[in-house]
Amino acid sequence: MQDEYIVELSHIMKSFPGVKALDDVSFHLKSGEVMALLGENGAGKSTLMKILSGVYTRDEGTIRIFGEEIHEMNPQKAQELGVAIIHQELNMCQHLTVAENMFLGREKVKGMVLSQREMNEEARAMLGRLNINMDPTTIVGDMSVSKQQMVEIAKALSTNARVLIMDEPTSALTSKEIDDLFVIIRKLKSEGCGIVYISHRLEELKHIVDRVTIMRDGHYITEMEFDENRMDTIIAHMVGREIKEKFPRISCPKGKKIFEVRNLNAGRMVRDVSLELYEGEIVGIAGLMGAGRTETTRAIFGVDPKESGQILLDGQEVTIRCAADAIKAGIVLAPEDRKKDGLCTKLSIRDNIALPNLDILCNALGVVNRKKEAIMTNQAVESLKIKLPNAEVDAGSLSGGNQQKVVVGKWLARNSRVVIFDEPTRGIDVAAKVEIYNLMNQLKKEGIGVLFVSSEMPEVMGISDRIIVMCDGRVTGEIMAEDATQDQILKFATQFESKIGAAD
Amino acid sequence: MDKKQSGLKKLLAVRGMGQVITVGIGFVILYIAFGIMNPVFFSGKNVANLLRQIAPIVLIGVGQSYVLITGNIDLSIGSVVGMSCMISATLMTKGMNPWAAVCVTIICCLVVGIINGLLVAECKLPPFIATLGTMTIARGIAQIVNNNYNTDSIGDGAKAFRDFFYYGKMGPLYNTVIIALILWLVFNFVLSKTRTGRHIYAIGSNIEAAKLSGVNVVSTTVKVYLVSAFCACVVGLITCATSGMGTMDAGNSYEMYAVAASVIGGVSTLGGQGILLGTVIGAAIWGVLQNGLQFAGAPVAIRNIVIGVIVVVSVLLDVIVRSGKFSKKKG
Ligand SMILES: Nc1ncnc2c1ncn2[C@@H]1O[C@H](COP(=O)(O)OP(=O)(O)OP(=O)(O)O)[C@@H](O)[C@H]1O
Ligand SMILES: [Mg+2]
Repeated sequence: MQDEYIVELSHIMKSFPGVKALDDVSFHLKSGEVMALLGENGAGKSTLMKILSGVYTRDEGTIRIFGEEIHEMNPQKAQELGVAIIHQELNMCQHLTVAENMFLGREKVKGMVLSQREMNEEARAMLGRLNINMDPTTIVGDMSVSKQQMVEIAKALSTNARVLIMDEPTSALTSKEIDDLFVIIRKLKSEGCGIVYISHRLEELKHIVDRVTIMRDGHYITEMEFDENRMDTIIAHMVGREIKEKFPRISCPKGKKIFEVRNLNAGRMVRDVSLELYEGEIVGIAGLMGAGRTETTRAIFGVDPKESGQILLDGQEVTIRCAADAIKAGIVLAPEDRKKDGLCTKLSIRDNIALPNLDILCNALGVVNRKKEAIMTNQAVESLKIKLPNAEVDAGSLSGGNQQKVVVGKWLARNSRVVIFDEPTRGIDVAAKVEIYNLMNQLKKEGIGVLFVSSEMPEVMGISDRIIVMCDGRVTGEIMAEDATQDQILKFATQFESKIGAAD
Repeated sequence: MDKKQSGLKKLLAVRGMGQVITVGIGFVILYIAFGIMNPVFFSGKNVANLLRQIAPIVLIGVGQSYVLITGNIDLSIGSVVGMSCMISATLMTKGMNPWAAVCVTIICCLVVGIINGLLVAECKLPPFIATLGTMTIARGIAQIVNNNYNTDSIGDGAKAFRDFFYYGKMGPLYNTVIIALILWLVFNFVLSKTRTGRHIYAIGSNIEAAKLSGVNVVSTTVKVYLVSAFCACVVGLITCATSGMGTMDAGNSYEMYAVAASVIGGVSTLGGQGILLGTVIGAAIWGVLQNGLQFAGAPVAIRNIVIGVIVVVSVLLDVIVRSGKFSKKKG
């Protein structure tokens, strides 16, 4: 029994208008194993799993679950069969409570009446089992993104799934939550569940993964046992070539000071933040989730109101009251939440790239110059290698990673002085990460200041020249990259105020 | 002190209760203010009349709230009121048994509801456009059933019908009020205590998440528009019973009154938020303003302006309160 496949997908085909997302893909999962599904952005991983969970219908191919061939698949059917999926993007009803979200679509009823108490109790028990400390009657919209992601996980588990699909579950989690999640995964595995695990954070795989399936461009490439020492082979299969340097670094002479923030205060999460940025360097901002890094970038960019503080560009103070002021001054932000803040998902890719650059693209009368617009779009698409059918499709239809590239791409068309990246590589594949690093390096070479927020330690250490660490809304440390160690960064990142007081 | 606070907390934890309490206080102040200006306002007779005036607004408000909570809108309500009024009256003047006429009317109105629901959920038309279309069609039907004329009196045979919907009394309350109360109780129960109700909130909150959780979006949306059409139908019957004849422009711009009652009572036009208790208070504020301003001798134009301002201000307050909460959460 142990060796029998619980899920068999064979010769799956799926096309979207203009793209062949899956071309003859096969996939096998045994019980009691964790199978990593790997591939670049847009390889079709999410699409394949959405077919398995009944969200999309396949064009061709067969699905067998527990040996039974399934002809018609839909989300309810999948749930009955014991297939649960945690989607890449959060799918929570913001106005409902944790318990209400967990039981959505399969509410417990007594006669006609919802048994709210029973659901709350069961949700509480589930959360307890998962070591998640939260009240099931909390409204989901009031919780942080990482907590919401944990609810999403608890929701999938509460269906008693035998096949659990996790599409990038960790991209929004804190490191403690990731550890908790891995404990859960190991437990489920020992109980005989089959788990499909999709992630672009390859360093996670060694903790839990047994086998890997690799896809590229909608094709099945190979299936193999996971072996930490063969990471290079795995990456080569994923991207179709070898990647020599995961963190390319170039050195430039440090020039004059371009940008300075003095004693910035904005709400509880930005307190007395000061930082400097010189020509020819990339400054990384490290810290744990909720350290106030995003809030700092938003305050600098003028989206959130500032209480006090100065912002200086090339030694001159600039007043930034709204995002337009910042853009005009030459300070731009590629925000963290691409779906919410970064993109107009219903506009085309061309429109998205053109949107913040309309001042460049329009003539004196405000008419958009289509030719310039097309050139700008093409440049962005080429320099970032954005994978798309054509520039006219909705930005929302791109794969997660490619969406992120569009967010970054729209700022690169401008001659900016300072570019702030907030988690630019979240959900992006290895090869694309390197492209984004190269891009930052290029900006650095051109003398543009790069400020770079990231929660991934290897990345911050690998790319930045100087690292600023934040904790609880304050800057708690600054380290030159060549001297930095993970422990040191972590120490600064957990330097909460009360602890400082106690140490004194 | 501590216990009191936790009791209050519990009450506030009920979805949307915060705003309901705020508008509730607003209502009381308004009512007392009008009462001081003119003591007749407090008289038992006026209260009974006021309730009877408010009841139809509560009904259409409940229907509109259902639709708004799913994140949609129903503009056809007013025309369905007209259609219901005209169809029932025409049938009765042609000599049909009043109760049979009521059944036929209800069926006709529900058909409009089904069409609305299918256009929005199945054909994915924007609800504003879909119901704008059915609004025009339903008004056209209201005009055509009696060849473009208002009907004659529905006659003596319909006395029981008129008593049932308008003139009858149970204790101190007019039947209209009792009908509104019963329907409100039923629909409030469905919305707050049943699976369908939960799905209605889920769809309004995040339709994608609802779909992925296995919620049947099409059938739930159709149900919501059915409730809305049914409520409008009942109001049409009440209108018919009130005047004893069918008028083609009955229910004109009721869809807007329904939106106003819902929104004043804290139902979000973006979906996912609001409770029917709020809608009642919203309708009550609407009724008290109409009635009170009338007592104060204000012309219709002034009444309209005041109500418009109240709608905007109450939504504005809500937005301010909510954005304040948001920044607190972030900060
Ligand atoms: N709903 C949709 N409509 C049109 N095209 C789509 C849709 N969903 C996915 N695609 C396309 O299908 C291809 C595969 O996308 P998919 O989301 O499966 O990639 P992925 O492997 O999950 O990538 P990522 O790692 O970035 O999440 C992409 O080219 C994408 O643009
Ligand atoms: Mg994906």
